[in-house]
Amino acid sequence: MSQASGSGTPMSDRKHVLSADNVSKKFDTAEGPVVAVDNISFDVRPGEFLSVIGPSGCGKSTLFNIIGGLTPDHDGTVTVGNEVVRGPHPSIGMVFQEESTFPWRTVIDNVCFPLEIAHVPKAERLDKARHFINLVGLNGFENRHPSELSGGMRQRVAIARTLVSQPKILLMDEPFAALDEQTRLLLGDKVLQIQQELKQTTLLITHNITEAVQLSDRILVMTYRPGKLKRMVDIDLPRPRTSDVVSSPAFGAYVARIWGDLREEASRGMQDSERAR
Amino acid sequence: MRAAAISPARFLPALFGLFCLFCAVAVVEGLLRAGLLNRFIVPLPTEVAGSFGRLFGEEHLLARFLTTVQETFYAMAILALIGVPVGTLLYQVPVLRKATETWISALASAPIVLMYPLFLVIFGRSAATIIVMGVIAGLPPLILKTIEGLSGTRQSLINVGRSFRLTRAQMLTKIMLPAALPTIFVGLRLGLIFALINIVGVEFLINFGGLGQLINDLAERYDMPGMYATIVFVILVSVLFFFVTERLERWLRRMA
Amino acid sequence: MASADGMKGRARAAGAGIGVMQVRIVLLVSLLAAWEIMARSGLLYRDVVPPLETIGWALVVLLSSQAFYWNLGVTIAEVLAALAIGGSVGFMTGVLLGGSRFFGRALEPYIYYLGPTPKIIFFPIMIMWFGVGPGSKIAMGAVSCFFPIALSAAASMRQIDTVLIRVGRSFRANGWQMAMKIYLPAMRPSVMNGIRLGLGIAIIGTLLAETKLSNRGIGYLIMQAYSIFDMPRMYALLITLFAFAIGANAIVGRFGGHTTGK
Repeated sequence: MSQASGSGTPMSDRKHVLSADNVSKKFDTAEGPVVAVDNISFDVRPGEFLSVIGPSGCGKSTLFNIIGGLTPDHDGTVTVGNEVVRGPHPSIGMVFQEESTFPWRTVIDNVCFPLEIAHVPKAERLDKARHFINLVGLNGFENRHPSELSGGMRQRVAIARTLVSQPKILLMDEPFAALDEQTRLLLGDKVLQIQQELKQTTLLITHNITEAVQLSDRILVMTYRPGKLKRMVDIDLPRPRTSDVVSSPAFGAYVARIWGDLREEASRGMQDSERAR
Repeated sequence: MRAAAISPARFLPALFGLFCLFCAVAVVEGLLRAGLLNRFIVPLPTEVAGSFGRLFGEEHLLARFLTTVQETFYAMAILALIGVPVGTLLYQVPVLRKATETWISALASAPIVLMYPLFLVIFGRSAATIIVMGVIAGLPPLILKTIEGLSGTRQSLINVGRSFRLTRAQMLTKIMLPAALPTIFVGLRLGLIFALINIVGVEFLINFGGLGQLINDLAERYDMPGMYATIVFVILVSVLFFFVTERLERWLRRMA
Repeated sequence: MASADGMKGRARAAGAGIGVMQVRIVLLVSLLAAWEIMARSGLLYRDVVPPLETIGWALVVLLSSQAFYWNLGVTIAEVLAALAIGGSVGFMTGVLLGGSRFFGRALEPYIYYLGPTPKIIFFPIMIMWFGVGPGSKIAMGAVSCFFPIALSAAASMRQIDTVLIRVGRSFRANGWQMAMKIYLPAMRPSVMNGIRLGLGIAIIGTLLAETKLSNRGIGYLIMQAYSIFDMPRMYALLITLFAFAIGANAIVGRFGGHTTGK
């Protein structure tokens, strides 16, 4: 739908921070090869919030790892600016689905981690870390260990840790999957606020429709196995948004429309997993 | 075709391991033959392998082995007779358990084997010293595992017992102990491993009894190939023992 | 009367009635009393169970002699050297086995099955290789503690949460940074536990070797006391030895406990 045809030409690249071009990935499993991602192409515009949504098992996380440069042998190319992604790229900051804070580091030391890796001097490191801890609303918790925080707070630490490296693109893989619904909505608010404050280009992978509609400018719907691009949906809800948007009729219409797209895919996925049992 | 594709991947590491072992032995043999290693310190591996016949014939390796087995067997009997009842008692009397459990686990990691000179004074150089050292080493894990097994009995089984109005003794013998059996076996196995290590070790240290004494004897006679061969034999026996009881443990667990 | 009451309803009274501490004190006192009665009754061979007072004096004499501290120093130095050698070799082996599925499958069974074998029987070989001095004792301790440390390092390597490794990679940490900032801290608690196990076993290995053949160290002192049937001194030595082992254990335990807490 909205693919840029010439991601190879530098001219059109100016408009896109990141483009994926015919990205595919196959896995060899005991039951034979599985096509996790099949020929997916899309672009991310500067400052936009793009979500990739699909049923469980559609290869979203594989796509996440490919864009993040953690899955080496895939077909197609991912480009950031003019550079092809071959391994983790400095312009991309990843937030993982799993619990990913370092249990042995305090909050501030967790957030300092990427700066340590980049050899940023200590004073500057602490300044920046404090700034982003404030941004995610964890001031006062700098010297706690992750074990002393709630799941939602830990995920905010992980987000701050990624933001502190000031990536051009924030890439998140179901960062709220392990949280309960209320925490999830509130954290969504936080992410919206941060994104609007930083004009942060964000690519969110999720299976949660309300979350995707609440946060996104555009939503890319994926099919279940093989993971193809099914539809690109523009979300024309006013900004700045908060979680209040959830109660608006337009919101409901978007959710219903995306559920219509997803329903068939999700039920195929469910049949598959039931057969496997 | 799929099976053919998987099986080499599974056996390759094991084959590589065996290959490494073989290479290590071959390298030692080569270095010795080339005169790069001192033959008075390390005997030729082929000579070590060749000395087994002599060991079984002249040194009565089999009889030595049986002596050690016998000591281990007595130790096991005493272990079971003391360990399981003590564990049961501690389970039945929670105060006693709370008071002593940390002591017992401290004992389990303490260097108790170094008390062997003490028992040497009491029992002299005899099988009793060896067996007692084996029992002492094996008791803490057996007691702890017995307690663990009994406390792990499923509540539903206990409720079944209650519904039949079993007495406390019946509850113990008909329900709790059978349910705890796999865990108790784990304890017995651990205890036996510790006991065997100590038995062979003390045999060597006090120069009395079975395989341990043979190693000491051969070392004193400077019979290098024989000594190395006996050490290899002891290792094989322990590994076999460890392996067989491990399988037995898994089988028991599957039954439960 | 409290005890008669306690006998009947022991299990029920457990939580509230009798305190754990009281039971411990009663147990300890009755143990010591039984010991004293046995000592005074003369039922066992003379001096096998010496009166507590005699052991106490022997302990005082031992702790005030300079030779004891010199021998203790020898033993501590041997144990530390054994732990350093066996521990570092074991750790590196464990990292290799835990880091590579192939090497782990190929070689770990050997370490796993060799672990629970009596190590002291290698002592004659160690004497051949490293002489009758401290070298062979250090070697015994090192061989003993190699196994538990290698196995725990391999296990902790495998237990590392893979997402933490992906975090490190996503921030483009290099190999050295990955090792120092991710692998080592993530492995620390279980490696510390392995070192604690290894330390206990290194103490046993080193001291057993000392009791077999040596002219210095705590193990030698124990055998010397044995050879002149000086039982009070032997008890005193064993008491100090156990105190040493428990103390060493506690020190390593403290290092291990700091990772996730406050």
